[in-house]
Amino acid sequence: MSRLKKVLYVTAALVVFVTVFILDVIRHAVSFDLDGILFIREGAIIGALFLLYLSIRAAHAEHPVGIPKNIGKLLIYSVLVLFLASLVSFVGRGTTVPEGTMTPPQAALASLVSVVFGVVLGLFSISALLTIKDLLLHKRRKGTKRNFILYVIALLLSSLTVLPLIPSELSVVSSVLFAVAVVMIVVNSFKQNWIVYLSRREKLYSIVYSALLFLTFVGLSLLMTQNPVSRALDTFHLPLRNFAQLNAIFGAVYFGMAFISTLFHLPTAEVYERKQSELTSLHNLSRLVTQVFDFTDLVNTVTAMTLEVVGARSAWLELIREQGINGRVAVDVVSNRNISPEQIELITASDESSLRQYVLDSKRALLIDDIRNDRRTKHITKSGVTVGSLLSVPLISHGEPIGFLHATKDFEFGFDQDDIDVMTTFADHVTIAIENSKLIAKSLERERYQQEMMVAQQMQKRLLPQRLPKHPTLEIAAVSEPSLEVGGDYYDFVQLRGDRLGVVVGDVSGKGVSAAFYMAEVKGIFQSLSKICDSPRELLLRANQSLMESLERKAFISLLYGIIDIPKGILTLARAGHCPMIYISGLNAQMIRPTGIGLGLTHEQIFEETTQETAIQLQKDDLCIFYTDGLNESRNGAGEEFGFERLVQAALGARYLSAEQIKEMILTEIRNHTGDSAYGDDMTLVVIKWLGHGEG
Amino acid sequence: MSEFKIHHRSGEGVSVIDLKGYLDAHTAPELENALQKLIEEKKFNIVVNCKDLSYISSAGLGVFMAYIEDVRKNRGDIKLTNMSPKVYNVFDLLGFPILYEIYKDEQDAIKKFQDARSVQS
Repeated sequence: MSRLKKVLYVTAALVVFVTVFILDVIRHAVSFDLDGILFIREGAIIGALFLLYLSIRAAHAEHPVGIPKNIGKLLIYSVLVLFLASLVSFVGRGTTVPEGTMTPPQAALASLVSVVFGVVLGLFSISALLTIKDLLLHKRRKGTKRNFILYVIALLLSSLTVLPLIPSELSVVSSVLFAVAVVMIVVNSFKQNWIVYLSRREKLYSIVYSALLFLTFVGLSLLMTQNPVSRALDTFHLPLRNFAQLNAIFGAVYFGMAFISTLFHLPTAEVYERKQSELTSLHNLSRLVTQVFDFTDLVNTVTAMTLEVVGARSAWLELIREQGINGRVAVDVVSNRNISPEQIELITASDESSLRQYVLDSKRALLIDDIRNDRRTKHITKSGVTVGSLLSVPLISHGEPIGFLHATKDFEFGFDQDDIDVMTTFADHVTIAIENSKLIAKSLERERYQQEMMVAQQMQKRLLPQRLPKHPTLEIAAVSEPSLEVGGDYYDFVQLRGDRLGVVVGDVSGKGVSAAFYMAEVKGIFQSLSKICDSPRELLLRANQSLMESLERKAFISLLYGIIDIPKGILTLARAGHCPMIYISGLNAQMIRPTGIGLGLTHEQIFEETTQETAIQLQKDDLCIFYTDGLNESRNGAGEEFGFERLVQAALGARYLSAEQIKEMILTEIRNHTGDSAYGDDMTLVVIKWLGHGEG
Repeated sequence: MSEFKIHHRSGEGVSVIDLKGYLDAHTAPELENALQKLIEEKKFNIVVNCKDLSYISSAGLGVFMAYIEDVRKNRGDIKLTNMSPKVYNVFDLLGFPILYEIYKDEQDAIKKFQDARSVQS
């Protein structure tokens, strides 16, 4: 309800009451009878009370407080009202002046008393009814609300039938309705479900409050039946008296019953409180599921909570490592409290069969009430384990056991059915929490891995030439397409003394970050050595020397290095385990494959003995094609490789085009071959077309 | 794509590893484990039969490099046999025939081991 509405309602009600007050003063002083005015007066009061009801209900709903506090508040109100009623009773004692003959001050006082007390009692009755309604409907059952509504209907009807305008013949009806309301009061007063859910402390409060409320309501009921309170009420509004009286009876009966019920419930308070703490622990764990990401924290919290949940002496959590041979399980104790790993081993493992096996076979909780006299734990008697009873529950994820949660107590028969239920439920939560924590760890790892990959990819991209060298006598086209991950393909160009151009293509074994690092190393070596070494073979020998020291044993690098002497048109080539160069001269295609071992595979002597160098005199329009094995090994859906044959044919078919176009043609051919299947490896292609010096 | 499989035989003082399918970065650790195990068991006379090996990548080649030194230090060897021409080509490109003994048939390799032993004794 909006603030404005509330203010409007209360103001309207106040205006009505003030008007009634003025009217009453006049009525007391000057005796006159006018049914019309009386009719309006009664109607206005009912309307005003209804507006007050709406305001109180809204306030009630907007500021909900706990049950004991609510009752406490009602108690304060009731004591105040009782006090006011006593005051009215005291002030109005022995003053019986016939109507219409009062002096103006007398009339004013009487009217004031009747209106103020009437309004206060009305407010209180409404508030009491709402409070009782809340208690009644707490954990309500099917008929609860219906019974309450029946009472309210009887209450309202019985109140309305006593309106002065109603013919007196209906007083029988009124009495019947009153009786019905009283019956409904008794029926409703049996609904005391709220008491069960109170804590022990709250129950103690509730006992005192109920007792006091019972007394004040009884007091109010009695006062209302007697002059001058009854007279003051009657002169204000007859139905209100009926309404307040019934509600006072309701209050007395209801809180009387509440007092007795609470008294009976007091012994069970402890049990209830334990349940409550179990529930709270379970709830806490479910919250932990989303909060504890760290595995160690999680499992330690689990054992700590196990102690709490079932009040155990010791607890430990085991996760299954693997399904061992002969169906025996190997477990890791990931967290233990108040028990040593040696003791755990003593308790759970026996020669013939492990306790875990019992749990695994049944996939249910295992309870051993008396460890010393149970046939499943005979082995324990001999050892010095001071455990009375044991409860073990499996952690089951998707039907598969992933571990066990154990709890022990020092004495026999320490666990009851409730403990089993709670531990089983608890174990379910634990399972989810553990699975979650594993998933999170995995996804974190993947994220980290992806980040590393991204760094490596960027690094790799920057290691490749950002632009190709331009020369009037040759065309160069190059492409390097990394696979999904980071690969180890490398190509580079270097301008050398004497108008010579160095071209290198290489492949670092392995993938990922390490490949990217090796590639960086190779680039460094190549860039520095190429300036010093005059021949490709010399560079490979020196590169092998330095890489042998730094590469890990299973890593190696293949390299194909050529130097084009531009004035002479001679290509000198050396190969270190790399794919041969494809040389196309006219219609003739050749694999240029000087012998040579991959870098980092063997020490200098064998390497030096093996590595050879070859030289080619280039003719106009000759093609030199450097590439990595990712290119010829590109597979289609059927697993068939692109192969050297197709590569050579593609190059031959496009030999009259520009280097750039030849490169594109080869890539197109590869894509046609592989179809939708993604490239398995990264691939690199460098096409050099010798244009010559215009002599052709 | 055929899966990678390792089969293990031993006898006459020689351990034979049969490779099958694709040996690449994903399957290389399996071969690594197999070799590691042989070395731990002090079985240094190793023949790797590549009859059913349909593909080998650089990561696969690297596995042999990782263990050859240990094996040779212990007077053993890793000999490769029964390669298909395609697989041989990959080994050959990289210069492996210079570093490893590669035989057409497994028996040749085993015989070689036995001969070497009789020479020693």
